[in-house]
Amino acid sequence: MKNKTRIYDVCVIGTGAGGGVMIDQLTAAGMDVVALERGPFLSSAAFNEDELKTVIRRQVFAKDKIDTYRVDQDSPTEKGNIAEIAHCVGGSMSHWGAWAWRFRPDDFHVLSKEGPVAGASLADWPISYDELEPYYYRAELDFGVAGDSGGNPFGAPRKQAYPNPPHPWRPSSRRFAQGAKKMGYTPFALPVAINSRVYGNRPACMYGGACRSNGCPINAKASTLSVSLPRALATGRLDLRTDAMVYELPLSENGRLLGARYLDENGGRHEVRARQVVLAAGAMGTAQLLLLSASTLFPDGLANGSGLVGRNYSYHHYPGVAAVFEDDLRTYTGYEAHAAVDDLHPSDSSRGFIRGGVIAESNALSNQPIAFAVGLHQFSGHPRWGLAMKQRLREFPRTMTFAGICEELSMDGNQVDLDPDTNDKFGLPVPRVTKKNHPNDAVMHRWFCDKLSELAQAAGASKVYPIRMPGAFVDNNEHLKSNPHNHGTCRMGNNPSASVVDKWCRSHEVPNLWITDGSVFPSAGGYNPTLTILANAYRVADYFVRQARSLSL
Amino acid sequence: MSNSLSRRNFVQLGTAFGTALLVFAQSPRPLAAAAAAVSGNPEAFDQAQWASVEAITACIVPTDHEPGALEANCVNFIDKVLVREDAALLPLYQAAITALDKEAQLHFGRSFANADENERNQLLELFEANKVSHWPDTLAINPQQFLQTVIVHTLMGFLASPEYGGNRQYSGWKVVGYPGPEHHMGGYSRAQVEGRAAVLPVWAVKRES
Repeated sequence: MKNKTRIYDVCVIGTGAGGGVMIDQLTAAGMDVVALERGPFLSSAAFNEDELKTVIRRQVFAKDKIDTYRVDQDSPTEKGNIAEIAHCVGGSMSHWGAWAWRFRPDDFHVLSKEGPVAGASLADWPISYDELEPYYYRAELDFGVAGDSGGNPFGAPRKQAYPNPPHPWRPSSRRFAQGAKKMGYTPFALPVAINSRVYGNRPACMYGGACRSNGCPINAKASTLSVSLPRALATGRLDLRTDAMVYELPLSENGRLLGARYLDENGGRHEVRARQVVLAAGAMGTAQLLLLSASTLFPDGLANGSGLVGRNYSYHHYPGVAAVFEDDLRTYTGYEAHAAVDDLHPSDSSRGFIRGGVIAESNALSNQPIAFAVGLHQFSGHPRWGLAMKQRLREFPRTMTFAGICEELSMDGNQVDLDPDTNDKFGLPVPRVTKKNHPNDAVMHRWFCDKLSELAQAAGASKVYPIRMPGAFVDNNEHLKSNPHNHGTCRMGNNPSASVVDKWCRSHEVPNLWITDGSVFPSAGGYNPTLTILANAYRVADYFVRQARSLSL
Repeated sequence: MSNSLSRRNFVQLGTAFGTALLVFAQSPRPLAAAAAAVSGNPEAFDQAQWASVEAITACIVPTDHEPGALEANCVNFIDKVLVREDAALLPLYQAAITALDKEAQLHFGRSFANADENERNQLLELFEANKVSHWPDTLAINPQQFLQTVIVHTLMGFLASPEYGGNRQYSGWKVVGYPGPEHHMGGYSRAQVEGRAAVLPVWAVKRES
């Protein structure tokens, strides 16, 4: 029954964290949903530990995507496959490291807490931690988060324990914890959406070591691909269409959306009709689609009366160091990060910057050998070839990473818009990122790198070297081009002139348009964003269903 | 970071390792013909090109008390990948090898493959420094970028699964101390994760292919 005239209750665009939860919750409530995903469907059978296929060849990423980047309006524009956005069912959750944090209460009130900051566009969320708390728990339950309840004295307060107990620690986790204790910090088990026991019809983790950047072959790692979509498909009320790139949201004369128009793999044009449209294409894709959907009613882009669609685009900064020890750290086992420290998170302007972030051990450099071997070449002074280089390769099992996730300040000039000079293979204007650091970001980044270096030494590392990643040597001439953590292009807020969607993530201007991905974040937080995207989507879905039942949509 | 560090590593390679990024970004879906790569018959190179590339890989990961790129058959990996995912790079390889052999003739009166170890390293230094006399103006990349590409390909051949034609008898994994992908062999026990029990590498429990 895929004829043109069928009208679905809801069309959801994107199947990652924000879209997947909506699809699940709305089909569970009895609604007929059509989901449009621009990537393919990769099942767990497509995932394994073949590093060449998954990590090096970037299995879950769009291969022929084009986007552009410039530092600011006066800088030259670079063209390439720059943005780090997964294109497949499950979105970036297919390959996430499964770090499952709740934001701290103060993360929702950055402007009130810090006051206005020159050059930044700080904003409060229209919701508080307390409003989101039940939905955080809902997300933790559905995605089976394993953690140490009460282990993080600097974390958000919890009412219930994590649904699953913490995982074992490998030697690298113990090294990290040793160093942390020497520094006076409180190490704890990093909460992850990875099963530490059989849970939710999914098996326990087998600790294969390679799940960062890979899909999980057994679905022990939770994602919308392994949790939400199977449930939704089982209702029989989901029409999931893959390789469907939405290019326009058409409007009726009375200003309501009619549905979505999309291109299939071969450029064939299709249209679906729906009473409600949920947009969750990622902070970049969501902004691009709204801007592509400009019309006479909305000449500057759909739902863009505020002019803020695409604005305040924020990432995270990732300070990091690599450290070599004398003993086998077993970083090729487990998952990305078992241990964390949050002592450095609370904002403290006496450090020379505001806001902060979380730090953790990581096997990012040394869970699989090609990434390690090729990655070494990013360090200046690394021998390019020969016996000295081979000797460095032998450090693989003794190398670990100390890394941070730091909050970036939002800036109005950081934005996603349509590139006037570059089209994709279908002739659509590609997204253009204009993005520079706030001075606060650079100071915070350096400070965290120094702390991580001290921590690695305290842990007994025989050699510590900075990781030369984008942002690892930030100064005002070096900026982050791309990032897997994308937020802010469609801020939520109570004031229609200062935000794109209201507190229920419904457009201020188009009554049947909802946005549930990271683009609604008014600020980036100092943690990985996914659990917050999930929790917020559960919150919105709850409201959506209540409104639908009272016939108020 | 979680879902990010490796990708950031590779994105960074875009600046540190310009052409390497080209190598990473190729290829839409999984390698279809991986098994065929185990065959050692040249598909991309002729005999002389094979010998030259093999000699470069031997400089990159030399043999010491343990195997190097030669024993791991990295040249076979490169030969196979240049008719598959990285087919776009084959003309570049062929032109660059010609330039390399001309450079070897110019300085030492013999081909790169026939040069001694010291001479080979001197020639690679010239590539690293972009000081190559016979580099064709028409090539999209410079000698240094070509060398970087071969380094990345060699490391891939040394450390990718043996089914892709390199890492012969797990030699690369043995050198770096990687036990191999164990997920499909049952994963790691709690005691192994915690470092309390030995890890048995895949080659100790799997029949050699």
